[in-house]
Amino acid sequence: MANRKSIIKGIVAVVVIGGIGAGVWAWNTLNTSRSAVADDTTPLSKVTITDQAAIKHGAYVMRLGDCAACHTAGKGDFAGGYKIATPFGTLVSSNITPDTKTGIGNMTERDFFNAVRQGIGSHGLLYPAMPFTAYSKFTDKDMHDLWAYFSTIKPVENKVDENAGMSFPYNIRLAMAGWDMLFFKNKGFTPDPSKSAEWNRGKYIVDGGGHCAACHSPRNFLGGQKGGEYLFGGNLGEWHAPDITSNPHTGIGASSVADLMQYLQTGTDGVAVAGGDMAEAVEHSTQYFTEADLKAVATYLKSVPASKGQARKPLTFDAKTQQAGELAYEVNCSACHGLKGEGIKGLAPAFAGNHALLSDDANNLIHAMLKGTRAAHTAKVQTAAGMPSFAWKMDDKQIAGVLNYVRNTWGNGAVAIKAEDVAKLREDLKARDKMHSGK
Amino acid sequence: MSAKELKGFPRDTALTQDSLPQGIRPGGAQVITDETDRKTLAAVFDRLIPADEYGPSATQAGCLEFLDNQLAGDYGDGKVLYLDKPLHPKNEEAIMKAPQFLATPRERYATGVKALEAYAQKTDGKAFADLSAERIDEILTGLEAGKIDLGGDVDGQAFFELMLQNAREGYLADPLYGGNKGMAGWKMIGFPGARYDYRPYIDRRGEDLGLIPVSLIPED
Repeated sequence: MANRKSIIKGIVAVVVIGGIGAGVWAWNTLNTSRSAVADDTTPLSKVTITDQAAIKHGAYVMRLGDCAACHTAGKGDFAGGYKIATPFGTLVSSNITPDTKTGIGNMTERDFFNAVRQGIGSHGLLYPAMPFTAYSKFTDKDMHDLWAYFSTIKPVENKVDENAGMSFPYNIRLAMAGWDMLFFKNKGFTPDPSKSAEWNRGKYIVDGGGHCAACHSPRNFLGGQKGGEYLFGGNLGEWHAPDITSNPHTGIGASSVADLMQYLQTGTDGVAVAGGDMAEAVEHSTQYFTEADLKAVATYLKSVPASKGQARKPLTFDAKTQQAGELAYEVNCSACHGLKGEGIKGLAPAFAGNHALLSDDANNLIHAMLKGTRAAHTAKVQTAAGMPSFAWKMDDKQIAGVLNYVRNTWGNGAVAIKAEDVAKLREDLKARDKMHSGK
Repeated sequence: MSAKELKGFPRDTALTQDSLPQGIRPGGAQVITDETDRKTLAAVFDRLIPADEYGPSATQAGCLEFLDNQLAGDYGDGKVLYLDKPLHPKNEEAIMKAPQFLATPRERYATGVKALEAYAQKTDGKAFADLSAERIDEILTGLEAGKIDLGGDVDGQAFFELMLQNAREGYLADPLYGGNKGMAGWKMIGFPGARYDYRPYIDRRGEDLGLIPVSLIPED
């Protein structure tokens, strides 16, 4: 598995604190009084918790928050070392086992609350690659139980220098204070009494532990989430996290609650199949959600105000381009994706009626063509079918051509992909060049 | 199911170098570099597959480039052959029902081509490549029947079989290996090439499907 995660451009931006005027602001942002409910005497390595219900629920909270995805990288569960590429250098995830030398064994519960909910760590401020802006929504009870769960984790000694790969000045943790002041709301979750308990539970998961907006909301140039574009879809550099608003053309508006539940639980709703970073999110996190939570998440997402995305008119091709597209599709794609773009249920995504592939941002499709990808491996859908790389047999123009065909056939319509778009990603992903054709 | 188990498969399905086809290397001949040798082999190949109304000749289709590329790589090294000495050579041939060689294909070409040229100089007093088509056919027919001795260690009959096999391979292998230029060989026999799936055609028996051949690495 690729031992790295790419992160939204600008997520680690530096804003220097501007003098005393920022004092009140800083007070609100860095005020840790919310953590007063937690014990500040016993370090994690010395904690003994026997409340099995709390530990079990804590494990579930870990799944909601998907801690494992970023904090596990082959050195043992939660021992850190997972590389996260940012435009400012490489961040490495920390060791969050109770090891006293290299992990969080010396943290008290209060320290733990500060780190998870406010991004205030034992070595200084955390980088917002850690989604504390979302975790700030976690209730005190969920946090207590998460703490209980982490007290049962096996300590692993694995020294991680989290920001050694960050370039100056981004390697200065205090610089994150400025970012926090601009983009971090130091507030818990406030239920909306006008909505159902199910809807509120869904919003709590989506905005809190699930940290969906971390990828699915677009970011501004400083890496803060753009106001008014909540869940409109975000560019992760190498992947694109699609629109998941209720927009019926570009979002999930045309999917039923049952479809969304099935997708989150199995990695596929029978049409779309999760790949890339979403396959990881499904594997490590959403497949573990209870039926009630899946339903809550789906119900909430269906209510999210629609993005402005419109259905695109299908491109029309001249006869030669049309024939080339048909031939390339039949020869290379049809065996798995179907002659009529119908896919193979639960294995290979359909192209007909699959909104996820019609975004203006086509990075997911280009990425899959260049490097291949895999479906999620879940308890209910175990095959994890693989898409092979086509980088060795198609050049940039050929890949753009077949993708344009797929995105504009069977009732689909999408903006044209240019050969330059493919060339750029081929370079970014270090995908191989097309082989010599022998001509 | 633990997170550990879920990590047990490769996320990146890009092919490794080992699993990719080894196509023609650019830069011209690497093994058959002697001009006379090239002409001799070209003369043989173009009598085995001459140009006619059905398609180009073997060398026009790139068979010589194909052969050179193969001889420069694992095939030329005899990587798949057992090349240690047998205990009882006569027994081995009887069991295998074919001549056995300790020489690699590259070495067999090196000696075989020189022997052909020497044979032409001896019997006709001129270069093999300058012989008439009829005379070349006569020699090739004689080699095939085992009636011509090329002298030295060269098994004329076996060398003829080797050249015939390689000319056919060059004419019909995927163009990425240097032969079958413009997919001429495939067009000649009606082979539709490297297509993944024929399910759309399975019920269309007896029809001319008019399928265009497709190379594994299409040009456009």
